[in-house]
Amino acid sequence: MDTTDIDKCVKCGLCLTSCPVYFEVCREPVSPRGKVQFIAACNQQNLSISRNLENIFSQCLMCGTCTKNCPSGVRHDMLFMRMRSQIVQDFGRDWKKRVLYHFLSHEHQLQLASKFVKFGRNAILENLARETKLGNIQLKNMPKLNTVPFRKQVPVVVEPKGKLRGTVLYFTGCATNYVYGDIGHAVVKVLTTMGYRVEIPGDQVCCGLPMFSQGGFETAKTNILKNTALLDRSGDTAVIVDCATCGYALRNGYTEILEELNADPSTAKRLSLKVRDISEFISQHFDALEPHFDPEKPSVKVTYHAPCHLRNSPAVGTPLIEQLLEKIPGVDYIRAEDTDSCCGGGGTFFYDHPEISKQIVDRKIKNATETGADLWVTGCPECRVNLSGNLKNPESLQVIHPVQLMERSLKRTTK
Amino acid sequence: MIAEEIKSELKQVVGEERFFDDPEEIVSFSYDAYILTSEPDVVIYPKTTEEVSGIMKIADREKIPVTCRGSGTNISAASLPVKKGIALCFTMMNKIIEVNTRDRYVIVEPGLINGELQKILAKEKFFYPPDPGSMNVSTIGGNIAQNAGGPRCLKYGVTSDYILAMEVVLASGKIVRFGSRNVKDVTGYKLSSLFCGSEGTLGIITEATLRVVPIAESHRTMLATYDDLEDTANTVADIIGSGILPVAMELMDKTVINVVAEASGMSLPREAEGMLLIEVDGVEEAVEKEMSRITEKARANGARDVTVAHTQKESDDLWAARRLAYGAFARLAPNCIVEDVTVPVSNVPKMIKATREIADRYQLHVGILAHAGDGNMHPLIAHDPKDKDELRRIEQAAKEIFETGVSLGGTLSGEHGIGLAKAEFLPLVMNQDTLDLMADIKKTLDPNGILNPGKFV
Repeated sequence: MDTTDIDKCVKCGLCLTSCPVYFEVCREPVSPRGKVQFIAACNQQNLSISRNLENIFSQCLMCGTCTKNCPSGVRHDMLFMRMRSQIVQDFGRDWKKRVLYHFLSHEHQLQLASKFVKFGRNAILENLARETKLGNIQLKNMPKLNTVPFRKQVPVVVEPKGKLRGTVLYFTGCATNYVYGDIGHAVVKVLTTMGYRVEIPGDQVCCGLPMFSQGGFETAKTNILKNTALLDRSGDTAVIVDCATCGYALRNGYTEILEELNADPSTAKRLSLKVRDISEFISQHFDALEPHFDPEKPSVKVTYHAPCHLRNSPAVGTPLIEQLLEKIPGVDYIRAEDTDSCCGGGGTFFYDHPEISKQIVDRKIKNATETGADLWVTGCPECRVNLSGNLKNPESLQVIHPVQLMERSLKRTTK
Repeated sequence: MIAEEIKSELKQVVGEERFFDDPEEIVSFSYDAYILTSEPDVVIYPKTTEEVSGIMKIADREKIPVTCRGSGTNISAASLPVKKGIALCFTMMNKIIEVNTRDRYVIVEPGLINGELQKILAKEKFFYPPDPGSMNVSTIGGNIAQNAGGPRCLKYGVTSDYILAMEVVLASGKIVRFGSRNVKDVTGYKLSSLFCGSEGTLGIITEATLRVVPIAESHRTMLATYDDLEDTANTVADIIGSGILPVAMELMDKTVINVVAEASGMSLPREAEGMLLIEVDGVEEAVEKEMSRITEKARANGARDVTVAHTQKESDDLWAARRLAYGAFARLAPNCIVEDVTVPVSNVPKMIKATREIADRYQLHVGILAHAGDGNMHPLIAHDPKDKDELRRIEQAAKEIFETGVSLGGTLSGEHGIGLAKAEFLPLVMNQDTLDLMADIKKTLDPNGILNPGKFV
């Protein structure tokens, strides 16, 4: 395994409390520093890969906060993904995750599975559930799947209203396509209102991050190559994502994984320059949306949860989103004490470690509730599942995507 | 090795879920932020004073070494279990028992993170002054055991100045309590001074009552840059000598400035030879006046630029950059040693000059960082532990730095502690009778020598 990063770690420990898992568990082995030292110990053959080590490395949300804050520039995220990959090679993968990855890497099967939804049940989810809970979330609080996948609900090309400002490609991600169609419709509405032609390539597949963050580099590669080939077009203004995690994958992950696998990253690199989170894109072209807001909108109290993959993205960050929210007419933005901390969802973390995840999310909910907000916006569908799924009283604090808030704030005539 | 029946006895004290002897847990307690490693036999996370007492009774009876640890961020190997035995980790014993700003104290458990305490106090417009570089990670228990300092200790004093009362478990397992909630308290020996800074060799801190102070009405942060490092040091001596007492005066040389700029992405004056980060606080009018006097002094001593942070964010960013220095310096090489020699402030210019000369003579990559206002030097030495020749040169250079510091009326360590790193140099600052006195105290409190054995006493 590539160990240059391990040598960079001076064991200063400054990563400890930036790690949401360490903050709850308070044990060195789960800390980022601890994990780096385990990899070092394995390399020096002072320690061997074990079930215990597998469990330790699963206790990571892949939020990237340690990497972002490390003064010595250690790439914990890449080290941990490689280690997970090594563990999978030695031990194989948990069968439930295998099922999940199989679906995510085979789009047509995912579509087939989603047809079961027509019988009114979350069939896939129920199979993965332990009794009435899926990880830390009560099954009844899981969102219902879209009855028809979002991409089947809209045409491949949606023309803008008014003067054409450009064409954008929309990478919907699995969550919008299969779960949160409402986000997808809001994205299309807002972009076309701004004057952009929205093109939604039908052949797009899962971004692959659920696989590669668990160390399944080769499984992810097929998806990465499909998506890069599909989205790398000249002439488009941007490639829009509505999911923080897909954004991270398209922007950073693809290049790094291809480099890791000694594959050619040039297409991925070119693509990465065009990827924009929807909120980031709106913020950059705010003048195109501003005239369409309804100035008479009654005031609404809004708080924000910064998804890890946006907060830790150098291009987006939290202040950009907060400033955008404050510019929407009628929005009374109130910052929660821990706006910038992870919700504890973390890919399959909420499923693998429901107790730790629950502690993390309950603290988030407490602080968000204390702001007195009516709406809790977050630009990551997975955070939305985790936050709304754990709210005791989902009616009093509705969790939505920032783009939905913007759609709701548009003038009636625009609607 | 600890026998299986003793292990089960220890398990009974804390329960299965807070007792560990698997290889992973052991490896993760084999290091702190210093370069050496040594594995314990078992790791235990107590949550109550009674549990600590129960563990100590068994350990004392069986003569098992016990090394306490918080977040393991110290850089003198003070929390390294060099004689194996039990690593006693306090991160799960981390509650705030009472916050009382009316009477200006808080009562906390040892595993509480310093930064978490600051967050709670900030809501009440109070703060706890000791602010070691590790404050967002390190625990109050560790801070007390090491008598931690930090930048703002220049004005506010160090950890030992803020302890009102303590609960300590002795090696025997006996629980002692001393002090009170009063700033004025001369009832008996001031035992907190004995345990604070004892580095886990005399007793185990299980609760502390700390003095807290209101946040000043107004704060200002400024940055002075120089073309000559000596001018930077002279400014510090001049300001302190003139009777102005800033909260903090942080000095960085060119190497450190560049490393920090690189790591933080901040625009710092990269071509400057020296930089001073100065903070003052107080009532608005006084702050204004002090700032202009400091600016005058800085310019008179050759500062080419003096800038004042205009917003809280600008000021926070400057401090965040300063806190990055140690970790960021380590980017230059696989590891980084930071020394801690401290001299009277009038000798800061001499000490800096000498350090630079020694570093050059031994061909070491050294950056100079200092809490300059109180003479607390932090030369950072980037190095590769695999390079044995370089390590030998570092040892030689460190010895000369210590000797120079002592000859200038200074001391070995201002805030990092002695631990293992500087144990051999104690005779430079203490005669044999004094060392014997420390050994006698240790023997009285810990007759079996089980508390953090193998360290400086």
